[in-house]
Parts: sequence; C-alpha cells; structure tokens
Amino acid sequence: MIMTHPGLPWSWALAVWVVMLALTLRALLQPAAATPGRWRYTLTRLPALGALVRYATRHPGPLQVVKIISVALFILVILAGLTGSQIPERNIATALTWNLWWTGLIISVFFLGSAWCAVCPWDTLADWLVKRRLWRRAPAGRSLNLRVPKQLRNILPALLLFVGLTWLELGVGVTTSPYATASIALLMLVLASVSLAVFERKAFCRYFCPVGRTVGFYAQLAPLELRPVDSAVCADCTTLDCYHGSAEVEPCPTHLVMGRISQNTYCTSCGHCARSCPHENVAWRLRPPGVEASQDARPHWDEAWFMLGLLALTLFHGLTMMPFWESWMLALARRIGDSGQLLWSFSIGLGVTMALPLAGYALAVWLTRHLAGVSLPFSRLFARLAFVTLPLAFAYHLAHNLNHLVGENDGLLALFANPLGSGALPLSMAEKHARHLHLLLPQDMLFALQSGLMMLGFYLAVAVIRHRSMGLTGDQGTPARLRLLPMLTFALLVHATSLWLLMQPMIMRM
Amino acid sequence: MKGWQTIGLLLLWLWVSPVAAHHVLGRPSYSLNEDSNTPPSMQVETRIGDYFVNYMVYPAFPRPGESGRINLYVNHLDGSAPYTGKVTFRVRDDSWFSRHEEIIGEQAPDDNVFRQGFVFSQRGDYIVTAAFEDQGQPYLIDFPLRIGQPSPLGPLGISVAVLIGVLITVSLVQRRRLMRGKIRAAREEQAR
Repeated sequence: MIMTHPGLPWSWALAVWVVMLALTLRALLQPAAATPGRWRYTLTRLPALGALVRYATRHPGPLQVVKIISVALFILVILAGLTGSQIPERNIATALTWNLWWTGLIISVFFLGSAWCAVCPWDTLADWLVKRRLWRRAPAGRSLNLRVPKQLRNILPALLLFVGLTWLELGVGVTTSPYATASIALLMLVLASVSLAVFERKAFCRYFCPVGRTVGFYAQLAPLELRPVDSAVCADCTTLDCYHGSAEVEPCPTHLVMGRISQNTYCTSCGHCARSCPHENVAWRLRPPGVEASQDARPHWDEAWFMLGLLALTLFHGLTMMPFWESWMLALARRIGDSGQLLWSFSIGLGVTMALPLAGYALAVWLTRHLAGVSLPFSRLFARLAFVTLPLAFAYHLAHNLNHLVGENDGLLALFANPLGSGALPLSMAEKHARHLHLLLPQDMLFALQSGLMMLGFYLAVAVIRHRSMGLTGDQGTPARLRLLPMLTFALLVHATSLWLLMQPMIMRM
Repeated sequence: MKGWQTIGLLLLWLWVSPVAAHHVLGRPSYSLNEDSNTPPSMQVETRIGDYFVNYMVYPAFPRPGESGRINLYVNHLDGSAPYTGKVTFRVRDDSWFSRHEEIIGEQAPDDNVFRQGFVFSQRGDYIVTAAFEDQGQPYLIDFPLRIGQPSPLGPLGISVAVLIGVLITVSLVQRRRLMRGKIRAAREEQAR
C-alpha cells in the first residue's frame, strides 16, 4: 500500500500566489535599491558565544570531534548496508542516508552554509587514508599533486555526476536498497581518495563532488560566510597563508584566496584559512540571505549550467514522488516497448524534465536580450541571469525535504538499537499508519513553513532578477523595467510549477 | 589475446541480452499483507498486453534451502476476468554469462491463483519467467527473485583493492620522482 504525505492546502497556496504576484508587480513598478543588504555581523563579536566561535574557528579540536562522529556514522552505513537486513526501513544505512542525511543536508545549508563539507566523511576518510595525518599538514609527496586536466577544470563533471546520482537514486531505486546505498557510499570514498592521491589539493571537492557543489551553490543563499574581518589587512598581506597554508595547516583545498573571495560556492568551510592566517583576520559572519546570489557572485558559463541543472533535478525529484508519475512511466513504457525497471522510460522522463526549464530559461534570456537591446553576448547574459534559478530551486528543495524530514523519521532512534535490522520484519500496516500520523512537527506548522519558504524563495528570485538586470535596464524608468518581464515570467512559471507539485500528495520514501 | 577476449565478451553479451520479450513493468516492492498470518511478501504489479499481473513471493527475502512460494494473479484488463489457462514457471540466473534455464513447474489456477513452490540451494539473483498463451499469442513475464543476502565482499573488496592499488602506485611514483630529483641534484653538483 502506498502512503502519501498530504499536499499543501489551497488556502496556503493562494497566500503564496498573492505574495508572488505582489512581488512581481513591485519589481515592475518600483526601482531596485542600488546597494541593499550591505550589513555584516562578525560572529566573534557575539556577547557570550563569540569566544566559543573564535575557539572553534582557530582550533582544530572541535571540528575533529564532529569529523570522527561523521566518519563513524559513515562506516556504520557501509557495514549495515552490506551485511544487514535488506528491508530498507529496518536498516540504518537507508534510513540514515536517505531519510535523515539527504533531506537534512539541504536544510542545514539554510542555517550553516557549506558546513557539511567541513565534516564530510568521505573527504575526511580520504584525507586520513592518503595523507595519513589526522589534522596536521601532511608532508609533500603523499599525493602526485598533478593538475586537473584543463577540460575537467570546471563544474560540469559535478553536474554529470549529479545527474548520474539522481538516475541511480530515483531510476534504479538505491534509496530502497541498503546494499546499493552502502555501495554508493564506498564509491564516493574511492572517488575522493583517488582524486586526492592523484590531483593537487582537493580536486574532488572543487570539480567533481555533486553533493559538495550542490551545497556550495545553495550556500550562496545562506546567511553565513567565512570572510576577512578587515579587507585592508588582506590587501597588504604578502604571504597569503590562507592560500598556501602554514607549517601546521593545510592550504585552501579549493584554491581560494581570502582577500579575493566573493562567494561561498567553492568554500568547504574547513577553516584552514582561519587557522593559518597570522593576522587572525578570518571569521564567520552573518549577512542578508541571498545577497551573494543577487550581487556578489561572479557569473560563469559552467556554473550557470550547474545552477540550471540543480533547478531541473530538484523539480524532477518532486515529480517522481507524485502518485501519477508511475502511470506516466507505464504509459511511456508501453508506447516505446520498454521493459525491466523501465530505465529507458525513466531516462527519457529525466531528459525531458531537464530540458524544459533549460529551454524556458534560454527563451527568457533571449527575450530579455532583445527587449533590453543589450550588446552583451547571449552566453554572458545566460551566465549572468542564471543565479535566479538558485532561490527557486532552493525554496522548493527545502519545502519538499521538510515533508521527508518531518514525516519519515519517526522510529529512527529505535534503529540505532538494531542498526542492521537483524531479525526485523517489514513495517506492518499499523506501523506504517502510526508513522504516517506521527509527525515531528504539527501538520499546520509544516504547511506554514513550506509556504514561508516558497515566499522567501520567490522574494530572493525577484531580488536576483532586479539586481542582475540593473545594468541592462539602464535608467529607472518604468518602460525599461518592463524588460524584466521575461525573467519574471520565467520565475513565476517555475515557482508556480513547484507550488503545484507541493500541493499534490507526495509518496513517502519508505 | 586480450582483443579476442573482449570481442568474445561482447558477442556473448549481444547473444544473451535479447532474452524475453516482456519484462516486469515497474520496480518491485515488498509489503506485509493486511492478514497478519501471511508472511511478508515481495510484490510486483505489471500490465502486459490485455492482462494485469500481480506477482507475490513468500517469504519476501527467501534464504537458500528455505522453501518459498510464488503466487501469480492474472486478470483481464476488461472486467478483471481471471485467466483460466496454464502458466509455466521457468527460472534462470540473473547474469549476463548464464543462459541455463530450468522449468520449475506448470500450474493451473487454484482459486484464480497460480501457485508455484520453490527451494533454491544457492544464494544469488534469479529471474523467474511466467509464460502463458492467450488467443495464440505468447505472454512472457520476467520477475526478479533474490535468494539470501547479497555478499558484502564484492563492493568492499573492490574498494579496498582500488584504494590499496592507488596508494601503492602513488607511493612508487613518488619514490621514483624523489630518486630522479636526487640524481639530478647530484649531477648538477658534479657539473659545478
């Protein structure tokens, strides 16, 4: 029997719609502020917690403790997945990976930016295996330190791996197989280790890791950043310890220089820069959410593709969990004569779902270019405006994941008592119903949070469109601002689709 | 020799891949029947031609040496009239490299259910084919059947082997680099 989460009620959806339309009208009628959201608050200045934040940033101990816990859980996932019961909801490998981690990860970005990457277990294990050091700087020679080939020095390998991971997750169905889940965990470990042993620094984190890049791009919207306290100190710095590291501390794993950093995308929050800076000039700061996507981040062609891919794959995740998806796949399978696990039908569905937002976006960019009459080449405008997809994807991803997190984690603690699920039977109907009814949050609060996230997402998307289009629309007159219409329409259509998906009943993962 | 092996494997793959005409539509799922006396079953639902087919395996995760049962329900799409002919059950390894197939039984409907018992002595992945004919048209449906737990040694062994291989290779290459550096330094010293 299929269990479903209830969809967002009409009343909440209507409220989101009203806000979306109001924001669209405001964007068309009111000029954008020139430099909004410039405030920053350094966390070390917090009255009581400041000292704690400073200690955790400057000393490796606290981070190492979290890393050890993370690695222990990762090893548990592998062992339980390979040797435990193959009943997914009775094995901690599937429950912890797909119900808690995969859903909680995106929610963690909302509060902590790319903090996950700092405690990522496959990177930590790869570090320990290849460098053979727990935290101090390893001697040169533990890795071949080759440069990544020029063709791979972009974000597209991560996008391809992300599409591959989605295919495995939703097409092959690894989420319901503890064994396959453990195998994927091992694959990530092998990829990270081989990359670390062969290439310089953390090429896997920088170019290949689909999880890290997803976290990195979403972290552009996070209210947290690791930045210089005083940029003048960085401007006068001649040693660049943040980039090169120090005698004790490893260099920046992703080749970032603190004095020039303007976006979280490639920051792994490892804190090497903060620990190696002799001037103690690197600190965690609070900032307005979304300010990086709308203003600070620099546009790049490959990154634009990744952001669009992220939007398409996020929508695709939601679509495959709708009750009607299976009948669509069956109809397609019968038409094309597909068989087995319907992987051809699934792949076609994936391709179409990826192509539609991409085509819509390309059309909106083309129309913007023609309406604004700008001389900027299409590819540069394509890259520049692609940031609009980030808040649209992130808002839906968060709202969707809240359903999983709130509605599917009942009984997770009990799994720690029997992580391998030895002797356990599948969930009975009574247990399924109990799980369905027992939410971690009241249902109305969940709806309110989902609606709030959708409103915030659209607000940020409009902010991105207004600021990224400022140079294009020239003066602040109303007719010029009508040139924002194609991108605003694109954002409205995408968000309306996300909202419609949220309103549908969603199949529970397990 | 390697080239011939590759061609051989390719030919073998081409030979074994176009097996049955129809397979299961959809991913298998298991469920605990509402009737608590019934053990958990692995269940697959599919449509083929004019029929809706429901395949259930008891128990859901059979072990080697343990007797199990397949229940197959075949109903016409129009009006759910059950199929009344006979169904032949065959089994083969779910492997690219094996074509060995055995008939495990031919069953007539018993209260509209085609029941087929089985005992497998070895663990592994198998494909059960249910075959029947209607109005001269053959129907072949493949269903998956897993006996016992999958071996943990496969992914773990491959991962450990790759990691050890890479670490040893890197170590050897670095040693050669170091030696080369020393020789170069010594030559430069001599040249001075």
